Amino acid sequence: MEQHKSIIRQGMQDAVPIFIPAIPFTLILALAMIESGMPLWLGWSTSPVIYGGAAQLTLLTLLSDGAVAAITAALIVNARHLMYSAAMAPTFQQQPIWFRWFGPYLLVDQVFALAMLRINDEPHRFRQYYLTVGLTFWVLWLFSTAFAVLMGPVVPASWGLGFVVPLLFLSLLVMGVDRAPKAVAAMIAAAVAYLAADLPHRSGLLLGAGAGVVTGMLLEKLRR
Amino acid sequence: MTFFIVILLVGLGTYFSRAVFILVLADRHISPGVKLAMEYVGPSVLAALVVTMLVTPEGELVLGYAELVALLVAGVLAWKSRSHLLTLAVSMVVFWSLRMLLA
Repeated sequence: MEQHKSIIRQGMQDAVPIFIPAIPFTLILALAMIESGMPLWLGWSTSPVIYGGAAQLTLLTLLSDGAVAAITAALIVNARHLMYSAAMAPTFQQQPIWFRWFGPYLLVDQVFALAMLRINDEPHRFRQYYLTVGLTFWVLWLFSTAFAVLMGPVVPASWGLGFVVPLLFLSLLVMGVDRAPKAVAAMIAAAVAYLAADLPHRSGLLLGAGAGVVTGMLLEKLRR
Repeated sequence: MTFFIVILLVGLGTYFSRAVFILVLADRHISPGVKLAMEYVGPSVLAALVVTMLVTPEGELVLGYAELVALLVAGVLAWKSRSHLLTLAVSMVVFWSLRMLLA
């Protein structure tokens, strides 16, 4: 029993500080929920239904350009989760079936980062830690997006606060670039997305993203 | 109603991307090529997204002087500070100040 308590306490102690940098994100997301024109509860329902900040934001900001473009873009933004799923798969093999179904729902970036440090723990301990971190993060996310969406209308539209969305994506982009080919791939993606911007259904976005990935693969091949 | 279906579809897709290897392909290997390609999805999509948000569906760039400077400041700050909070706070202040000065 003592041990259980300490794992749970440890999980909460790890999850809370990692949540703090996500708070400005929830404010931006709330703004997108308000500006999407949906009823607030429906915009907020993306938090429990999708439960992934970048995908929620992409969907809500692009929805006015058409559902197909917004859905595709949001799912592509989520492609990184495939890597998390693959990396976690061996550890989940030793887990009961209910956890194998429920666990992936909680697998956001931050939970992945923390859980990866524990994959060699004994299965029971791993499960407790994962659930503590995952549920703590989930509750905080649901509460703070709800709080932000209720407080949001306080900020007048004339402030141009929506500009913070591209700034945030740029910030995420820059921090994810860990080697030169990724920077080149990002530039090609941006250039192609701009040149193809007038294509219907915002397909320039996909074309740009595709061009970036192809560029990256070519550069990696050249390096060898 | 339509909105909710859209949200539900993205929700299902998101769950699928997190669950697929854990539930069905646990003992299969992902080839190194695919892994490498997945690494490039992040930066490429984000770059294309930033551009898409600054361009109208007709292909026109909506980028004033204030926006341009704020983006540059954000890029440099993100690179140097590695802090989203600092990056967003400073670049938004730059954006607002320039807008006021230029208005």
